[in-house]
Amino acid sequence: MIVEHAFLVGFSKSFGLFYLVVLSVAVVLHAMRPSNKKRFDEAARSILRDEAGPWR
Amino acid sequence: MIAQLTLIERQHAILISAAVALLGFLMMLAGRDDPMGAHGALIFVVSILMIFRIGGSYYAPPPSDDRLKHYYDDPSKVGIVISMMWAVVGLGVGDWVAWQLVNPDLTFGTGWSSFGRLRPVHTTSVIFGFGGNALIATSFYVLQRTSRARLPDQVSPWFVLFGYNLFCLLAVTGYLMGITQSKEYAEPEWYTDIWLVVVWVTYFILYLRTLARRKEPHIYVSNWYYMAFILVVAILHIVNNLAVPVSLGHAKSYSAFSGVQDAMTQWWYGHNAVAFFLTAGFLGMMYYFLPMRAGRPIYSYRMSIISFWGITFFYMWAGSHHLHYTALPQWVQTLGMTFSLMLLIPSWASAGNVLLTLNGAWDKVRDDATLRFMMVAGVFYGLATFEGSFMAIRSVNSLSHYTDWTVGHVHVGALGWVAMITFGSIYACVPWLWKRERMYSTKLVEAHFWLALSGTVIYIFAMWNSGIIQGLMWRTYTDSGTLAYSFVDTLVAMHPYYIARAVGGLLFLIGGCLGAYNIWKTITVPGVTSEHASDLPQPALAGALHAAAE
Amino acid sequence: MSLFGFHYRLERKAIGLTIGIIAAASVGGLVEIAPLFTIHQTVEDAPGMRVYTPLELAGRNIYIREGCYACHSQMIRTLRDDVDRYGPYSLAVESKYDHPMLWGSKRTGPDLARIGEKYSDQWHVAHLNNPRDVVPVSVMPAYGWLLATELRTDDLDLHLKAQRRVGVPYTNDMIANAAMDAYAQSNPDSPQADGVTKRYGKATTMRAFDGLPSKLTEMDALVAYLQVLGRLTDAAHKSLATAEARQ
Repeated sequence: MIVEHAFLVGFSKSFGLFYLVVLSVAVVLHAMRPSNKKRFDEAARSILRDEAGPWR
Repeated sequence: MIAQLTLIERQHAILISAAVALLGFLMMLAGRDDPMGAHGALIFVVSILMIFRIGGSYYAPPPSDDRLKHYYDDPSKVGIVISMMWAVVGLGVGDWVAWQLVNPDLTFGTGWSSFGRLRPVHTTSVIFGFGGNALIATSFYVLQRTSRARLPDQVSPWFVLFGYNLFCLLAVTGYLMGITQSKEYAEPEWYTDIWLVVVWVTYFILYLRTLARRKEPHIYVSNWYYMAFILVVAILHIVNNLAVPVSLGHAKSYSAFSGVQDAMTQWWYGHNAVAFFLTAGFLGMMYYFLPMRAGRPIYSYRMSIISFWGITFFYMWAGSHHLHYTALPQWVQTLGMTFSLMLLIPSWASAGNVLLTLNGAWDKVRDDATLRFMMVAGVFYGLATFEGSFMAIRSVNSLSHYTDWTVGHVHVGALGWVAMITFGSIYACVPWLWKRERMYSTKLVEAHFWLALSGTVIYIFAMWNSGIIQGLMWRTYTDSGTLAYSFVDTLVAMHPYYIARAVGGLLFLIGGCLGAYNIWKTITVPGVTSEHASDLPQPALAGALHAAAE
Repeated sequence: MSLFGFHYRLERKAIGLTIGIIAAASVGGLVEIAPLFTIHQTVEDAPGMRVYTPLELAGRNIYIREGCYACHSQMIRTLRDDVDRYGPYSLAVESKYDHPMLWGSKRTGPDLARIGEKYSDQWHVAHLNNPRDVVPVSVMPAYGWLLATELRTDDLDLHLKAQRRVGVPYTNDMIANAAMDAYAQSNPDSPQADGVTKRYGKATTMRAFDGLPSKLTEMDALVAYLQVLGRLTDAAHKSLATAEARQ
């Protein structure tokens, strides 16, 4: 298969940036979604909770 | 330690060691005319010693089921001790080569003691020896506590730890004998690389197996960072080290890539070794030990998630900023520069998280040198990432590249961020692991902190000065349009800064030695056993420390 | 929820995170590296470019072994002062046979991309033996043992074969005569010397690089390599000349 250099470069320059935008939006939405707040706060506190050892 | 292993586990350990010994023996035979033979002998001897060590306790009574009620911390303990040993060696060799640039005849007139061979000994010892062992040791510790699950078996963690150190040992002894691929931070030759892949796959599977035993569905963010560290380092390592050996009896191999492809692959690797080895892994460490030591949750868990995905995605694009103005196509250079600038967002999200978590607990930072190590690490992380983005700008890079400014920048990150967060985490972790009230000497921790901080500051100021001066001298023209300075002129100008750098490094080394001594005393001197001999760390200890220091 | 279901959820989450990390992390490398493998379609070629002789390749391996790349770059950037100091800027094609490349990242010493034939063999030998004999303020280590160590040549054919496997066009003839060519290149009066020029071209430098024709040392190899740096092709000089003519 012969891949055109120009095509690959074009793909790299456009697709990568498209991926960047989609991923950024998705991550920010996921992190900032109000319904996730409780879960995250709980996770942050979870390591400080004193438990005496492995559950298994 | 071996008494903790069940009979079956002892048998497995012996079998694995025997298999490795056989491999070593075969390498010894195949490489008898080559430096590789010496490595075969080294592997053989080490594995045989291991067999004797396990065999010596083979008939010890089997452990009671009581062990399952506690986390399995022996590998973490040994890992921390080994890590400190590598720290002393790596910092020592680093300072030695720094003095060689002041006086180049500080060698023994032999190949192994010349700058070119010792430099990778320094970089590998500090990055992989000190940093890598600290990452493995703390990852086992954090993984078990955040999952509230014990490691699934007691052999694979040892395989990971000792296998990894065998890799480090082969790497470092190889450079001394002249075995190197010349790819920076990926110098070990093909058989050492293959060995690391085996160890690394075991490491990742162990991680997943432990996570599968966890109590709650959510995976704590530290584990995300540790997982990204393990996974991405595996990808980078395998791709960048693709090579064809001269023969199965030769240590030497030739890279599968050449020229511009090789350069891009190498710096894709090189920059992301910084990202996923020296950043992601240590952020995992920070996101656990900082909240625990401060006794308060991380300021923003959301920010830690955004930072995580940002780092995982952006960093992989940034490697090409190592190749500005070279024969690499310019559009790749531009992409590298753009993403390097964007990296500032996730990086500062984490650096900010450190400081905001401590906001309101500054009294603890003032009194507790361990917490101060972590805080300063956060500040240097913010500084290093800002400087990195700045230096990735093409026009800035035209001045800084090839000069000591780059070396200075690396050490802002390596000394200021990586080493500081590691020392802080180790000082927090050691009393918890060995069930002590506190470190053997809090004064020594304090002394270490100031030595490390002043050493780092002297080092980076020396390198900033020498780098910028050299870069400017290189590009200065006379009125008649010719270059004003010869290369030799710049060497003369560097000399005082090289002395300052070596002094800064020496301070940092002394600090590291104090740390190693202090940790050793904490482990070996009995008496100050903690009352709360539970398996979980004691966040309140920072407060207790304060009281004790008064 | 059944225990099985809980377990399944736990594992799905860990695996999902794994896949997410790989998906996020692979893009950057892929889009930057993949196009470089088709780059030969666009950049200038160098038809007359020759491969390293066995002696030069052995020298290159000594350069790698001693870690010279840690302090010397082999990449002249497209900046005015780089070009004025070191010569025409480096082209991608010039390192196409370099497995691995030695572009370097630091200039504790000067760039070496075009060092070939700038200094005499005697200068190089004296400099490598003790840099401070010729450059008093140099901070380079002394490599005295190179002159005393005989070069290993019996496995050079294997080296050439491995090079061919990664894409360097060594011929069967070159591989079969590798050891002899290494010897002959540093011994121009020997009867085998003709073979070297036949296989690698008339422009190949044939000299007793270390000044001792009777002995093939590591110094021979390293100096032979240094003297060929920047001289495997003249593409860079041509490219600069056309660029200047255009202005």
